[in-house]
Amino acid sequence: MDITGALYILFKILIFPGLLFAVVIGLFLAGLDRKLLARMQKRVGPPLRQPLFDFLKLLGKETIVPHAANKTVYLAAPVVGFTALIVLALFIPVFGYSTFSGNGDLIVILYLLTIPAVALIVGGSSSGSPYAGIGISREMVTMMSYELPLVVVLLTVARKVGGSALCFSLGDIVSWQAENGCLAFHPAMIPALLAMLLVIPAEVGTQPFDVAEAETEICEGPLIEYSGAPLAVFKLNTAVKMFIMTALFANLFFGGIETGYVALDAVIMVAICALVTFFSMTLIHAVTARLKIEHLFKFYWTVVAGLAALSLILVWVGL
Amino acid sequence: MMLVNYIASVILVVLGLYTIITKKNLIKIVLGMGIVDYGINLFIVSTGYNDGGTAPIYNMTELVSGAYFVDPVPQALTLTSIVIGACVDAMALSLVIKLYRQYKTVDASEIRRLRG
Amino acid sequence: MSYVHFPVIAVMTLFMGAFLTVVLGKHSRAVRSFLAIAASGIAFVLIAMLVKPVLIDGEIISYWMGNWNPVNGYAIGIGYEVDQLGMFFALLVVSTILLSAVYSLRYIERDSSQEFYYVLFLMLSGSVLGLVLTGDVFNMFIMIEIMTFTAVGLTAFRNTGFGSVEAAFKYLVIGSIGSSFTLFGIAILYGQCHTLNMAQLSAMLSGNHSPATLMAFALMFTGLAVKSYIVPFHTPAADAYTTAPSSISMVFSGMVNKAGVYGIIRLVYIIFRTMDIPAVQTLMVIFGAVTMFIGVTMALAQHDFKRLLAFHSISQIGYVITAVGLCTSLGLTGGLFHAMNHTLFKGLLFLCAGAVLRATGTTNLDQLGGLSKKMPATTVCFLIGAFSISGLPPFNGFASKWLVYQAAYDKAVTTGNFLYVFVTIVALIVSVMTLASFIKVTQAAFFGQLPERLKDVEEVPFLMQLPMWIMSALCVLSGVFYNFVDKYLLVPAVSAALGVSRYIDSMMGSGYAAEKCVTDIQASGVHFSYWNPMVWLALFVIVLCAACLCILTSKGSRGEILEGDGEDGKYATFFSGEKALPSHVGGSDLFWGFKTDWKGYFNIMEGLHSGVVNDYALYVVAAAAIVVVFTFMFMR
Repeated sequence: MDITGALYILFKILIFPGLLFAVVIGLFLAGLDRKLLARMQKRVGPPLRQPLFDFLKLLGKETIVPHAANKTVYLAAPVVGFTALIVLALFIPVFGYSTFSGNGDLIVILYLLTIPAVALIVGGSSSGSPYAGIGISREMVTMMSYELPLVVVLLTVARKVGGSALCFSLGDIVSWQAENGCLAFHPAMIPALLAMLLVIPAEVGTQPFDVAEAETEICEGPLIEYSGAPLAVFKLNTAVKMFIMTALFANLFFGGIETGYVALDAVIMVAICALVTFFSMTLIHAVTARLKIEHLFKFYWTVVAGLAALSLILVWVGL
Repeated sequence: MMLVNYIASVILVVLGLYTIITKKNLIKIVLGMGIVDYGINLFIVSTGYNDGGTAPIYNMTELVSGAYFVDPVPQALTLTSIVIGACVDAMALSLVIKLYRQYKTVDASEIRRLRG
Repeated sequence: MSYVHFPVIAVMTLFMGAFLTVVLGKHSRAVRSFLAIAASGIAFVLIAMLVKPVLIDGEIISYWMGNWNPVNGYAIGIGYEVDQLGMFFALLVVSTILLSAVYSLRYIERDSSQEFYYVLFLMLSGSVLGLVLTGDVFNMFIMIEIMTFTAVGLTAFRNTGFGSVEAAFKYLVIGSIGSSFTLFGIAILYGQCHTLNMAQLSAMLSGNHSPATLMAFALMFTGLAVKSYIVPFHTPAADAYTTAPSSISMVFSGMVNKAGVYGIIRLVYIIFRTMDIPAVQTLMVIFGAVTMFIGVTMALAQHDFKRLLAFHSISQIGYVITAVGLCTSLGLTGGLFHAMNHTLFKGLLFLCAGAVLRATGTTNLDQLGGLSKKMPATTVCFLIGAFSISGLPPFNGFASKWLVYQAAYDKAVTTGNFLYVFVTIVALIVSVMTLASFIKVTQAAFFGQLPERLKDVEEVPFLMQLPMWIMSALCVLSGVFYNFVDKYLLVPAVSAALGVSRYIDSMMGSGYAAEKCVTDIQASGVHFSYWNPMVWLALFVIVLCAACLCILTSKGSRGEILEGDGEDGKYATFFSGEKALPSHVGGSDLFWGFKTDWKGYFNIMEGLHSGVVNDYALYVVAAAAIVVVFTFMFMR
């Protein structure tokens, strides 16, 4: 590999579509979410840049390690989660433009998505707080809840796009949509689309599916002992996760809106991300109250998984 | 010719399994294991029987084409199997003794600390 | 000396070691330790020396005991045949033996009658090694029986402990029912074919099934399934793994149930060559899916560290059986890879449980907590094992589980059968539940509050840490260098399992398979790898950047990382101003949300695992009956 090639890859990893892009767009989406929510509740709301300010401010604060905590794990957990999210960002193409085009990257994505959640769980667990103990158990149950519908949605897409040859490659899914139209406009995929819209808020952990953090109840659960830079990184993780989930949605269901210009593609994608953020997070957040943990589990395994399974059956019989 | 033996061996195996499933007394369960073994031993030794065959004791000069004798392999297998069965029973009985010392009973339905 | 003798010598060494330990090892600890390490080390070296001829050059070693070669196309002697499949399992076996022997040196130093421990241990090792190397079905039965006894003896080794004798008795009853079924099957086969050699049986049975051989198939399948502890034969395994010493639990999950899996693969792929019949595939996939699901849900309900691991062992074997039952080369690759990974990570986890038991004297999760500060090495090893078994990248469980999912869904698409879609989804959900229950152990044992009772706990000695570190390293390496493992271990083993005629020819003389019209199993599916060096480069760069970021932020005067001792309220855990001390969230308190939703299911399951040996025997016999009926209905 020559030096330009290496620099190019470094550019991809650090600037676009990797670290910088994911962080900036993630923070933008988080700010947008807060602003829109405030407007829906007839508040003025914070400026769009507020999450960025929060992040920078937290970075400057002192980090307290409680004496009951295991220091290494406690400090490493947010970084590990962040790393996984940035790698994920590299796997998600900006429509035609992607860094890696493996054969099975949907499964890699599915797996990498669990790492930030596991990092949160292990970090919270290592802090030694009983609130965190309750929080991690809820985080885990949330994860079990949304994993089933998510898996079924991904299988449905793979079957729809690949036919009998099965397609787990996100790049191929996007280029298939460029030829055959967006998956969102295929009637059989509508239930899967709805299911995916409901999976996103649980994955990101926004209300009403934020049982794990539940500020009013268990004081942010796993994050209770965190302060300073590690907390900043965890907050950043949530923001980046917003970007990743919405971008994944955009690629799965609205892929193939390609203009040929990477910059323009990126703008369209961010617009779609913003829309998805509005519908799946802000709107639901504004109109519902937090669920109980057992209701959450039941809801995902019956309603959401049912929607996804309906779609899978429809696709299987050839619609 | 051997049909009776086969039927008997299957009956023995089934009886043994029945004993293991239904009897709560540990000693009876061990007996059931023994009965299953005997049934199988009977079956194996019957598979090698040739009606009218002689004992399979020959040296290389006597062993000509057309010599008629029972198959020696199942007999060897049966011997091995009997030895193994005896070992299993001995082991099981020694465990029953240990169990009786610890639990003061040989009732299977009371020996269930490990469950769930 | 030619290497064709090595397999037999390796098995003999272990049995001789057992014998010598009886004679010489009674009084001196040094002697018996030396004998155990020497015997297992020699076996390891001998098997390792076969890697080049068998796995790399692709040779199949056939060896007739006492030089009783086949006469007129009939095998009359006992044959040892080492093909790549057997070699793959033999490597797993000898590695497990060696690591477990090293661990045992310090682990059992406080027990009495140690010489019997080593005798039984070496006999168990020898029998499993013999089982995977032999080419004779009756020899296989003998090895299975020796394996069962010695395993029972070792389960009851700490016979004053809670329930160990009980577990041993149940193991013996269920195990001997399984062995009896196997023996019955072998007897029927002998009656039909008049041979006991696997290669010759394979040549005679291929595509040539009478009701008698179908019966033999059903019985042998059940018998070997009992030995691999798939549901519903898993009940004694859960008890035995819990109560046996941890070094032995590692051996059980690392090689004893692998021996059962090996037997099943040998049975369905080679001896009966029935794997291309869809009914057999369905049978195995259903067994596998049920096993993984019931195993993992039972694990979620456990309060004991080792019992939880035991149910996970069962669940992971479900993955292997499912993948092997798909009969695609991808599925077989995934299954064998997962079997290997299971040996590594489950062995590692059992060793960690042993370390916890030795340090604290209990494995009850409700009484543990906060061990990570006292036992940092064990904690790191445990986390590596837990992440591996949960299938997080880049650990090995990720690679093999991915292959399993991919194979199952591929199978669904190529056959159009919805059953396999269902199985894929079950496999993915089980993976998340596995993660959940390991989070539970992590929280309950290693993190959280340290109970007062465990203030003086110390890390285990280096000799016990050594096998744990080796296995951790292997877990990471086999995940990262997946291509290497695939090329040198999995591809030869898979092609050996599918290439029946080569197996027959090398034992019975070339041309024998063609004469009997045996064809190789046609398995669909292609290999693919997830390995992409760029991904790991990217990971590396980002980790570096993140680390730099952390260092930079922590250097600033205000962003300092502060650590304090217990006196200062600033560093205490937040507990909402209550007077009471923060309480530890124990293992049984986690996941109640999940458990309340599934209360009905858990109640039924707990009722079924009643602990009464009669019930367990009933499950075995009922399942055997189902297999027999299924065989006769769908395999004719």
